[in-house]
Amino acid sequence: MLQCLKNLYHWLDVQGHHVPPLPRNLGITALFLCAAYWASSILIGHTGGENNSALVFVLAVALISLLTSGYRYGIIASVVGTFCINIFFMEPYNAFSLSRTGYPVSMVSMVVISCVICALTARVKKQALEAAQREKQTRALYETNEKLNEEKAAIQLESDRISIRESILRAVSHDLRTPLTSISGTVSVLLSSPEVPEKNLSMLMDIKQDADSLIVMVENLLSVTRIQDGTLPLKKREEMLEEVAGDALLTTRRRFPDCHASLELSEDILYLPMDSILIKQVMVNLLENAIRHSGDTSHIQMRLYRRDNWAVTEVRDHGRGLSPEVIQAVKAGEAMPLSGDATRGMGIGLSVCQSIIKAHGGWFTASNHPEGGALFSFALPAGGEL
Amino acid sequence: MSEKQTVLIIEDDRAISNFISRALTANDYRVIPAFTGKEGLSLFFSHGPDLVLLDLGLPDMDGLEILIQLRDLPREAPVIIISARDRESEKVRALDMGADDYVVKPFGVSELLARIRSTLRRAERLKLSQGIQRDVYQIKDLTIDLSRHQVTLAGQEVHFTQNEFKILELLALYAGKVLTYDFILEHIWGPYGGSGSNQILRVNMANIRRKLKENPSEPKYIHTELGIGYRMLDD
Repeated sequence: MLQCLKNLYHWLDVQGHHVPPLPRNLGITALFLCAAYWASSILIGHTGGENNSALVFVLAVALISLLTSGYRYGIIASVVGTFCINIFFMEPYNAFSLSRTGYPVSMVSMVVISCVICALTARVKKQALEAAQREKQTRALYETNEKLNEEKAAIQLESDRISIRESILRAVSHDLRTPLTSISGTVSVLLSSPEVPEKNLSMLMDIKQDADSLIVMVENLLSVTRIQDGTLPLKKREEMLEEVAGDALLTTRRRFPDCHASLELSEDILYLPMDSILIKQVMVNLLENAIRHSGDTSHIQMRLYRRDNWAVTEVRDHGRGLSPEVIQAVKAGEAMPLSGDATRGMGIGLSVCQSIIKAHGGWFTASNHPEGGALFSFALPAGGEL
Repeated sequence: MSEKQTVLIIEDDRAISNFISRALTANDYRVIPAFTGKEGLSLFFSHGPDLVLLDLGLPDMDGLEILIQLRDLPREAPVIIISARDRESEKVRALDMGADDYVVKPFGVSELLARIRSTLRRAERLKLSQGIQRDVYQIKDLTIDLSRHQVTLAGQEVHFTQNEFKILELLALYAGKVLTYDFILEHIWGPYGGSGSNQILRVNMANIRRKLKENPSEPKYIHTELGIGYRMLDD
């Protein structure tokens, strides 16, 4: 019986959620009152005058208040039930009467009992609802907490990884620099020594060139780690762009004595904040790129000028130009397509340039000049006129 | 010069020390290698070198500390600093503390040799002209006449402002030596004049360069030491 009621309650509860509250509550009230009336009519046939209709109706009221929202329907049901009992199940039948002794008392007490039941049920329901909500909140809090903990762990892991990677790279770069300096230096000494036979000279030249490009590679790796991790701020200082460019050209010329590269200055004095070591590296990379990949090392031009609030640096060669893939990759800011030995080192060099310029809040482009050759330009924010 | 000039190399990395020694020996210098700061100082006492190559990153002593001790000695020798690239401020401090020049790892042999030659030449010149005030500086086509306050470039007079002239004069006086921004600022504008920003110096220098028709990528007279200062070329 209890199980049945429980099931019924659940069924109604589940079904009831599809129906709007007002018709649902009214329906439940009417249903149980009818059921109580029906049960009492059966009972009165068996027991006669002294019947249990009052208990039946109280049960109906209890169920109604349990299944409806609030306590209003329970009270309505108790009042309706009381009148129902008086009219249908007490003598004189089918008429309202307060003439018999005890009738008013029993009616009032029934209404009071029903109301108390309603109030109690409503309170229980409210508490159940609150408990359910509390549980839901607690669960949500717990889940959020769990998620936060996971995120925190992930961030911690990531930052650990970055700092480990960075310190490894810095150590590697530093420990590579010293031996590379001595390799390159030792080979230079050998190259200038008269004791070295002619046939070995070209091998020594190769060693020297490779050592020198490794030095550049190490510097690039160091810069790109610094920039891309975003862990180290730029060491920005006001700097004269033409001095940085001049230094970049001198460095490049030292490495490639046969190249012809010129620097065209702007009339404006371009004095702007930058990390001069990194900007010099961008220029050196672009010059080296032109020397190694354009196929023409004799007409490389570097030009500085102001355009609005930008200090622009252009590096132009008169070589074979850039492939559409390279232009596309620069535009999209992707890693360079690496196609064989010809572009060795180009990818890293250009990615480093892009990262450095991006970190300075500038822009970087690659294109082919209408009159042939590749044209790389980058701009740094230069503010107003000096 | 009949006598070989002596160079003391204070550098802990043996490979680097070795190739510098080889390069210097091949170019007719006498070389004394030292691998620690202490050894370097004691070899300085016993040998009295003409020039010191000093690595700032030594295992036993701070390079700057060695520089101070060398400077306090009665016998003087010019010092060229060998520094790692990421220690720029240290480099500037060393120059301000009296080092004559610097090279940055990784450096090339020809670069190092040029610096050594230039520093030794300057030291020699300084010794000869002790106490004698020069009036005219001649560097290639550039003539700076202090008494007449006149600068000519290939016979043509070039007009400079008061401060531009003073900068040129200072650079010429120390020709061959790297002068840091702070050093120049203090000499031209006084101890408080250029405080805070060296923009005024940099702009003056850009104007000097334009008047001398100097391209910083092909310096004939003034070499830029990026982030550090300027040097007048003397050869």
